[in-house]
Amino acid sequence: MSEAPATSSIYDLGYRRYDGVRLGRRHAVAALYTHSLRTAFGLGRPATAKIVPIGLAVLTLLPALIALGVAAIASDVEIYSANGYYGYVEVILALFVAAMAPELVGRDQRQRTLTLYFSRSLLRVDYAVGKVAALTSAMLLLTLVPQALLFLGRAFAWNDFWGYTQDNWQDIPAIVGSGLLLSLTMSSLAIALACYTKRRAFATGGIIAYFVISTGVSAIVANTASGIVRKLSLLPSGFHLLRGFTLWMFDVTPTLDAQGNSNGPAGDLVVAGLDFYWYAVAAGVAIAGALYIIYRRYQTVAA
Amino acid sequence: MPIFWLTFRQLIGAKRTMLLASAALLPVLLALVFRSGGDQEPAHWTAQTLLAQFVVGTMLPLAALVFGTAALGSEIDDGTAVYLLSKPIPRAAILLPKLAAAVLLTAGFVLVATIVSGAIAAWGSTDGAAVLVGFSVAVVTGAVVYCALFMLLSVMTTRAFIAGLIYVFIWEGVVTRLFTGTRIFSVRQYTLGVADGVASVGNDVFKSDLSAASAVLMMVLVGVGATLLAIRRLRRFEIGETA
Repeated sequence: MSEAPATSSIYDLGYRRYDGVRLGRRHAVAALYTHSLRTAFGLGRPATAKIVPIGLAVLTLLPALIALGVAAIASDVEIYSANGYYGYVEVILALFVAAMAPELVGRDQRQRTLTLYFSRSLLRVDYAVGKVAALTSAMLLLTLVPQALLFLGRAFAWNDFWGYTQDNWQDIPAIVGSGLLLSLTMSSLAIALACYTKRRAFATGGIIAYFVISTGVSAIVANTASGIVRKLSLLPSGFHLLRGFTLWMFDVTPTLDAQGNSNGPAGDLVVAGLDFYWYAVAAGVAIAGALYIIYRRYQTVAA
Repeated sequence: MPIFWLTFRQLIGAKRTMLLASAALLPVLLALVFRSGGDQEPAHWTAQTLLAQFVVGTMLPLAALVFGTAALGSEIDDGTAVYLLSKPIPRAAILLPKLAAAVLLTAGFVLVATIVSGAIAAWGSTDGAAVLVGFSVAVVTGAVVYCALFMLLSVMTTRAFIAGLIYVFIWEGVVTRLFTGTRIFSVRQYTLGVADGVASVGNDVFKSDLSAASAVLMMVLVGVGATLLAIRRLRRFEIGETA
């Protein structure tokens, strides 16, 4: 807009153009990422918004703390192995993504702030990437911090810190790898479901319903059916998928109970009899599919 | 009565009802898978796996959560609760019909799923009929208690849905398995206790962890307690209050 003539100063509302440095698209994505990561833990929001995410984050630490308490008293007792840890906290992790994914992507649709985002240098695809990256990072904190605590705590409880580390260092790539794949799988699936609705309750319910129902159905089919149906039965199940590729990365084969029956999700995987690396492949396919769905949604969503 | 039908229409008209109806087909699918290849004893599988684990453990709480928190909670969310609460109707006469509608829909869905899938899976086994009767009674009583509990949550907090999910899947799913004494505070265990008590089949077919007497006692206590508390909370509900 051109400079207003001096005669019309009565209309001069003092509007000023921004003439600082324009930081551009990369900075916009980084800002969105940081803001979303903070939102995932309720930071910068009222105390009531912090209860659920912080509470769930503390709950994921609880088994590690219990294990350390036990290790302090009797250093040779190992109640959780690193590869079984997600088995204890998977429900908490699912609740976390179910509670926070709608918070990250639903709020902008509900309060029409998407328009504001898309009118800046941020592209639609950038928005999707920023949100998925933020939730994945939040999940990484929830998975890797307890694992690090467990590993370090056990190493300190052992008489010889370096001895323990040397004996167990090969677990570290598996811990990081499974944490990464698990975080990315759960986050992308959760956002793919959540970005299709404004209503928080529907998104939360949908995500939890997917994890719980698919796991319940798959476990029953794996222990009931036979042949090819049994073999493939656990692939659609969220929790079994996570457990399957975790076991593959740690190169562990779970044991069945004395009667040769399944004794939980790990046992179901043995009963189904599919090689564990297929679960990693399936997770890759699920992530790709979810990311594509999110991409499509943000290309067409009304801003 | 108008409030009952109003709530009934609100709940059944929504998209979620269609989703739940398709979820009700899952147990039937499982029963068909079992018929086609399962090698376990039919009555035992029907009771232990199909009905106790899947229908009572997953479907019943999810259906109750959807209907129980939506019956009053969605009106509070939308702001339409004001039109009901500002009328000279006793708050109990608002809450009770809404609870009844939620119970009717929850029990309806789960009961149909129980009977159809159970009949397919347990067809021709001697204990099948007893198991079916036991679980039919149990899911209806369970629906009442769950809905009362979730309705109480929905008048206490706007985040009733996530609170209910945490109760069902962390408390009933994980904590009661690790600390078995907490079973006395689990609606799932009450439901299974009633199923065992009514079915009265051998322990090799189905055995609940809670005795039928304590299950019934706790059901009455929790159901009545939650309803009374919800009414009390709604009486003190300030119009325009959103939290």
